[in-house]
Amino acid sequence: MANPVIMPRQGQSVESCIISSWLKKEGDEIKKGDILFSYETDKAAFECESEFEGVLLKRLYQEGDEVVVLKTVAIIGKPGESTDQFDDVAEIAKSEETAAAPVKEAEKVITIAEPVYIRPDGEKIKISPRARNKAESIGISFTDIEGSGPGGRIVEEDILRAAASRSWATPLAKSVAAGTGKSIPIQGTGAGNRVTANDLFTATQPSGDDSEVRKISNMRKIIAAKMHESLQNSAQLTHHTSADARRLMELRRKAKEAFEKGASENITINDLVCYAVIRALKKHPMANCHFLGDSIRVFSRVHLGLAVDTERGLMVPTVKNADGMNISELSKQLKSVANSCKKGNVNPELLASDSATFSVSNLGSYGVELFTPVINLPQVAILGVNTIINRPADLGNGVFGFVPYIGLSLTYDHRALDGAPASAFLREIRLEIENLDLTF
Amino acid sequence: MYDVGIIGGGPAGYVAAERAGQKGLSVVLFDKKKLGGVCLNEGCIPTKTLLYSAKMYDHAKEGAKYGINCSEVTFDFAKIMQRKNKVVAKLVAGIGAAMKKGNIEVVYDQAEIAERASDHIKIKAQDTIYECKNILLATGSEAMIPPIKGLVREEILTNREILDIKSVPESLTIIGGGVIGMEFASFFNSMGCKVSVIEMMDHILGPTDREFSILLQQDFAKRGIDFYLGCKVVEIKGKEVFFEKEGKTESILSSEILMSVGRKPVTQGLNLDRLGVEVVRGGVKIDEFCRTNIPNVYAAGDITGFSLLAHTASREGEVAINHICGIPDRMRYNAIPSVVYTNPEIACVGLTEDEAKAKNIAYTVRTLPMAYAGRFVVENEGKNGLVKILVGEKYNEVLGVHMMGNASSEMIFGAAIMIEMQMRVADVQQIVFPHPTISEILKETLFAFNE
Repeated sequence: MANPVIMPRQGQSVESCIISSWLKKEGDEIKKGDILFSYETDKAAFECESEFEGVLLKRLYQEGDEVVVLKTVAIIGKPGESTDQFDDVAEIAKSEETAAAPVKEAEKVITIAEPVYIRPDGEKIKISPRARNKAESIGISFTDIEGSGPGGRIVEEDILRAAASRSWATPLAKSVAAGTGKSIPIQGTGAGNRVTANDLFTATQPSGDDSEVRKISNMRKIIAAKMHESLQNSAQLTHHTSADARRLMELRRKAKEAFEKGASENITINDLVCYAVIRALKKHPMANCHFLGDSIRVFSRVHLGLAVDTERGLMVPTVKNADGMNISELSKQLKSVANSCKKGNVNPELLASDSATFSVSNLGSYGVELFTPVINLPQVAILGVNTIINRPADLGNGVFGFVPYIGLSLTYDHRALDGAPASAFLREIRLEIENLDLTF
Repeated sequence: MYDVGIIGGGPAGYVAAERAGQKGLSVVLFDKKKLGGVCLNEGCIPTKTLLYSAKMYDHAKEGAKYGINCSEVTFDFAKIMQRKNKVVAKLVAGIGAAMKKGNIEVVYDQAEIAERASDHIKIKAQDTIYECKNILLATGSEAMIPPIKGLVREEILTNREILDIKSVPESLTIIGGGVIGMEFASFFNSMGCKVSVIEMMDHILGPTDREFSILLQQDFAKRGIDFYLGCKVVEIKGKEVFFEKEGKTESILSSEILMSVGRKPVTQGLNLDRLGVEVVRGGVKIDEFCRTNIPNVYAAGDITGFSLLAHTASREGEVAINHICGIPDRMRYNAIPSVVYTNPEIACVGLTEDEAKAKNIAYTVRTLPMAYAGRFVVENEGKNGLVKILVGEKYNEVLGVHMMGNASSEMIFGAAIMIEMQMRVADVQQIVFPHPTISEILKETLFAFNE
């Protein structure tokens, strides 16, 4: 009998995934472990390996389709085998999975990463992130859209349908969009930039041929939405200072020696800074918070987010309970989450901006001397780590010389934190960096 | 330095100048003769003035049908021409005033492109160099005179000369049964002149929906106009035109010959070569923003050799100015109305049945007599009128509207909006048309799609 390939569930909060690309065609021979397709959630990308052997009989979704988790995506079986009976399989599997799903930990239940939208009548709007991104990208208000998803949740299709009835597309364009499923661009070539039926089929070039319009990745859309949301919905500003980096550089030199002599981790300057930051956070718990609008969640542990540059874009994975770790363990964990981001197999739960309590972004290796990092809401602050530069300093006894300094840029949300405590916290980080006492 | 230098003061040039002035651009407008171009001086306006006099004359003669008896209806041709000149003079003066109001500098001389500098183009006129950041070429078109054996330019008339004739010729041979030819046929026929029309194609009015061109031809034939279709003019001897039909040569001798076989863009003297402006089949090639192939050089109107209509020209002028100002705008040619101001008028916009078939566009069509609109019956005793509407088969969007009957020219813009806005039959059905008007025929015809 043929076997269904099911869209895996990646984490409890993931309701659907998007098929990024198919790596196998219908009719291809499949071995166990072959990669069938890659898919992505809002937060990470994954690959689906086959658990079955046989021939790929049928692909039920196209690249770019949003598939509800545990739905049948493809069918593998013997050549010529019927695939008709698989329509209901996904539903059965889903009900079993739901029954077996572990109850979520109480602490984890509180998530406010997704902005909350309220209808004029006070009802909360349920909308999938993909639908929200679509709505934002094509400029559609979704407050009065009826959702067709489970529990009235607005899904992408609802947005597209709403887009089709916008007044600035011509009536014909609306009919054609509804009839063909084409999405309606923001501007068209008709009178007053109305979208005409032709515009649905031709990408319009505003002028000249010196540019091309490229679709952006889902990841890019998410980064765009998050960053914009952060700047729009908080009161952030940045303080800059710098710390004497002689101690830091000395420790790095020692750590390097230790690693060469067989120590397990090659501890970097960034690891050391993160370690100092965690120590400072323990002394300034008001920087280790989530701002919830009418309340502040103060954490007893430090969950440290680290900005990581990947091929797909910026990711900020979290090292949970980082305050309980020694420098070697911290270094190992930071590398581990960064590497899994680069590989694309990071646990999506660790990418949620509310999984971390504070974040660090290090641009020192690029020679950046000063920047204003953007807060990952609902966190209340983020530390930007800059390059080390030699600066004149008073060495005592009337002697002046050049001392290496590392730049520190602390962006904080003034809604949660005032200037004085933020400055005190930044000074604490500086003192921790200047006075790190570690042996390897 | 000027923001825009416009060469040619016709409907493309003067409208562009006016729009540019409204947007605060500094503009210099060159015209070798009079503002208004062919449209105002030897086209749209004078011909419509004459045709209106003819219509008044026709109506007076038909008064008895409405219970009004006019005895001995006559016309004063000199006065008709005089009124035409007055109308033209008034409107030309109006454009002059508009230019003054918009602070447009008008230079009356043949302008030529002198050279291109790094950030501007030099235009020479009246021995002066005008430096312009952008230029708009809008020199229009002129009547085409085909190389026919024995043709002497002074012996024949074009739209230009015929507007200055002193009396109604006894007979007139019109070579070319297009819009210009048919409007003059209509006028001179009303004035009692024996009109013959020689057309190379097997139908008149070029691309006009065939059902309508045939109707008009039949109507004109009844009024005494002779048609020689599918005939090729081979020779002109004095006022005698020789033409071939199916291998046989025939001839017509008449008092005057009107040449109206088409128009060609005017580019000579402009020195387009100095800029390297691309010219295709005599017309300056433009894109949808009315840009030529050369940066900062735009063109609008008949000089493009395409859609030779005053309203196309004005719109192109606007698009060019908007592009210069960075305002999003572009030319769309699918909803440009065209009107034949004969008596009765023909007005069309959008696709004809032939065009839809050639483009493989699936359509449905409804045709209704104008008499379905009460007002038409009220005002057109014993006259025929027709409306035909084409809609897309799948989505019922309005594709083409064709009308014959007086007042068509005044209501075709409504159909143009339907097409421009890609409205579907059901959308237009919800619009309220005033009653009783002839325009109701549009709504009537659209409801015929429900049957």
